Amino acid sequence: MHRRWVAPVAFCVVALGACGSSRDERRDEARDDVPSPAVSSTRPGGDTSVALGPNPSLVRPAANLDDDAKARFYAGKALATQPWVRAPTLTDARDGLGPVYNARSCLACHIKGGRGQAASPTGSPTGSPTGSPKDQPLLASLVRLSRPGRGPNGGPIPDPVYGTQLQPQSTSLSHQLRGRPGADAYKDQGPPPEGEAFIRWTSAPFTYPDGQTVELRSPTLEIRNLGYGPLHPDTRMGVRHAPSMAGMGLLELVDQADIDRNADPEDRDHDGISGRVNMVWDPESQTQRPGRFGLKANQPSVRVQVAAALLGDMGISSPVFPQQPCTPQQSRCLQAPTGNDANGHEISEDLLQLMVFFTMSIAVPERRKPTHPMVVRGGALFDDAGCADCHVPHYVTGSDPAYPHLSNQEIWPYTDLLLHDMGAGLADGREDHLASGSEWRTSPLWSAGLARAMHDQVGLLHDGRARTIEEAILWHDGEARASRDRFSVLAVDDRRSIVAFVRSL
Amino acid sequence: MTHRGQGFPLFVLTMTLAASWSCNSGDGGGDDGSGVEHDLEKLRSVLETNADIAFAAYSDSVTTAQRLEEAINTFVDEPTEANFTAAKQAWLVAREPYGQTEVYRFRASPIDDTNYDASDGEDGPEGDINAWPLGEGLIDYVVTGTDFGDDQVNVTEHQTGVSDPIPDNNIINSTDITIDEALISNTATADDEHDVIAGYHAIEFLLWGQDLNADGSADTLDSRDSTAGQRPVTDFALDDTCTSGPTENGDPELCVRRGQYLQVAVAKLIADLTSVRDGWDQGADYRTAFTTVDDVDAAKAKLLEILVGMGTLYEGELAGERMQIALSANSQEDEHSCFADNTHRDIWLNAEGISNAYRGEYAGYDSTLDGSDDQTGSAVSGYGIDDYLTDLGLTELESAVSAALDMTETNYMAIDAGARGSNPVDVVIMDAAGDAAGPMRDTIVSLNAQSTQIANIAIELDVGTAEDVVIPDASECDTTNPTAEC
Repeated sequence: MHRRWVAPVAFCVVALGACGSSRDERRDEARDDVPSPAVSSTRPGGDTSVALGPNPSLVRPAANLDDDAKARFYAGKALATQPWVRAPTLTDARDGLGPVYNARSCLACHIKGGRGQAASPTGSPTGSPTGSPKDQPLLASLVRLSRPGRGPNGGPIPDPVYGTQLQPQSTSLSHQLRGRPGADAYKDQGPPPEGEAFIRWTSAPFTYPDGQTVELRSPTLEIRNLGYGPLHPDTRMGVRHAPSMAGMGLLELVDQADIDRNADPEDRDHDGISGRVNMVWDPESQTQRPGRFGLKANQPSVRVQVAAALLGDMGISSPVFPQQPCTPQQSRCLQAPTGNDANGHEISEDLLQLMVFFTMSIAVPERRKPTHPMVVRGGALFDDAGCADCHVPHYVTGSDPAYPHLSNQEIWPYTDLLLHDMGAGLADGREDHLASGSEWRTSPLWSAGLARAMHDQVGLLHDGRARTIEEAILWHDGEARASRDRFSVLAVDDRRSIVAFVRSL
Repeated sequence: MTHRGQGFPLFVLTMTLAASWSCNSGDGGGDDGSGVEHDLEKLRSVLETNADIAFAAYSDSVTTAQRLEEAINTFVDEPTEANFTAAKQAWLVAREPYGQTEVYRFRASPIDDTNYDASDGEDGPEGDINAWPLGEGLIDYVVTGTDFGDDQVNVTEHQTGVSDPIPDNNIINSTDITIDEALISNTATADDEHDVIAGYHAIEFLLWGQDLNADGSADTLDSRDSTAGQRPVTDFALDDTCTSGPTENGDPELCVRRGQYLQVAVAKLIADLTSVRDGWDQGADYRTAFTTVDDVDAAKAKLLEILVGMGTLYEGELAGERMQIALSANSQEDEHSCFADNTHRDIWLNAEGISNAYRGEYAGYDSTLDGSDDQTGSAVSGYGIDDYLTDLGLTELESAVSAALDMTETNYMAIDAGARGSNPVDVVIMDAAGDAAGPMRDTIVSLNAQSTQIANIAIELDVGTAEDVVIPDASECDTTNPTAEC
């Protein structure tokens, strides 16, 4: 990546003008001054930022929405919150779930708008082939499928029968009423679920130079009860854990040039960090565009991301993706009734726009305890360790007349939105457009510290393996190895300070 | 209304309310930055009144659900038109007290949470009582309506030799499935939300059926009429006249199953409502925890819970997720009571519940469905938030809140009057910009205005709590143990 001045956010002095001086100057200032956190950095989402309040949630409307826009926000929220139902029903605005699906609503996995619930140790198989009462299939995360290579538009090559995602649920009566007396008698009717995924966690200790150890766990996937025959022998699998939804609209308004500036695909500056822009297929413009959303930066816009999740996760067809989540080989899936409207979509253009507006307009909460000495100290150490080289703190959004509340905002997401090779430990070998099997998009860190406040089974990283921010840091490898090593040699108080800083974001 | 999924409570704090917290230091104390001199005894009265109203309204909900059960039992035994009408009437009456209780949602009270702790997820019975949208196609036959294409384009050419008929598989039709409480309990499986098949709206669907047009036509997107659901009484016939809508079954088995479903659903509803009511009874754990406050700070925290419930229901839930979405989507399924066309009452009663909470008054419920509360046996007239504001000398704020409540009342009464005429909510929402939808639009606006006033109460009374209530201080990290989460 191009080495550049990295805004040590906690130090950036209040006035914008102070940030306008030359980069080197500011770096010096930052190092010399006793830091006091910038007003702007306490509000990571700029004017959209909201106070957390007593019931933390990552689905609050941006603070600067006007009444009319707020009404649209809540209308979109209803569509993201309330469960979709099996077709047919009387009217078509709510039905069309499945026929195969992962969840009934967006917020089923994005709990309170935040991250998904990690598979719990007790909910994982112990290896017993028949399973045990505690042996619950994975529902809160999903399993991506693909074969090696790149498909027609540069995307993954799907499994010929199961497509690009395992949908463990279906609208069939026997699945809906599973476990109830008599339900099994109807197993041959309706579309079967695609299969069940189970996670087995394997732990291995990480030992700090000072001798402290941390148990790091990694998932092994097991697929059972495939509903449509075997997977292709070349099919690879990867667990995907739902990320937080907050702030996506602000990230959409970041100018591509501000992202490209940090890219260094060939690592010309030899700092060991490349940083690549994914180029992905945009089904609407029918062109290749820079990817920005998704764990591998594989979606070009919030709109396409929302529509892809509607189709892949919930089985809802839309003007962007008018098809059903069934492959041609899945006749019982294709035969199920759809919830299509007169235009052939289960969600209409109007309602899709409301969902996109809702997703774009979710507020990023204000920082917690930004002035705590430990947090302030952690901010400096975060920068020293090179974390901010990829977790780029600060942008100013562009302007979009459709989103005045998101326009021209100073934001502090802590991401470069670029792909980085994170090493073998996190790799699952699945390519996705330009992203290799070991490359991941830098996750934004805003709201990362709120994961546990949304629900107690927190899971960080792309598959939810990390239970704490510290574990997530220790999984950094590949291009991030040097920063991870700088973290690990710090004294324990310094490590805690970095974690406290990340939690405060 | 609204479903309860595992672990994602609908705690939508109003933005304005949330904003107020940031203005407060949360330092508490009798005399704080706001200049208000709090009175612990009076705050206790506010809390006691709030609990009294909860107990009264949930008690009336249980009573009316029991009357509904009696009416259902009579109807199932003797499925005459008169008994059918009586059962539907009893359902409508049962909604009257329950609608007023929804202001107790969104605050980890017994309806949403059995251990009164939202941080471990919500496990209260709300999802089995009033959840929505109903998985009607899973329960009984449905008409496809404006849904186009039961079969997708090109299916036949992709057939791989397996030719399964599209099953009309629902619980009523699938006679191997036992209809009992376990079948319809949402809590039976922990890891997944289920289609909603229990509660008021399941009973509503079984009594009314889908809200087709009077001529039985299903095209309800463009030509919705003012009739409610048209389920024929023969759907419950105990002889060979038993039908499934237009289909004659020839034997009574499916009709018997419908009757069973009604009885199981109403018995579960009563049990669930009873558990919520009991949480608010004198001496119950929740009530004791809610009303026992040792100092002003503790009392203010409880008052904040009340305000959060009010504000959440006002803006996010009622105005946004219950009204705006129905209006902007022209979505009949987004009506709260879409089978019975009773949504105008849901709006009224939800808003009335908020007003009850503010004024410390509960007038009882309407058993004759004429719009006035005639059942006053459980009525409460207590010490409201309005009284507290007045006693603190905040008369200007009190007047402003009252005026906002009055405006909302005027607006929802206009929705109600329209629905009692020829403009039920499902007809009104077909033209969101039209004259008939005016009261809907006005009510949304006034509910949002009210939420601002609720936020003002929080600010004036300085009941906002700082975010560190839920986010532990970074200094609480155990710096000697790097594996401990903090």
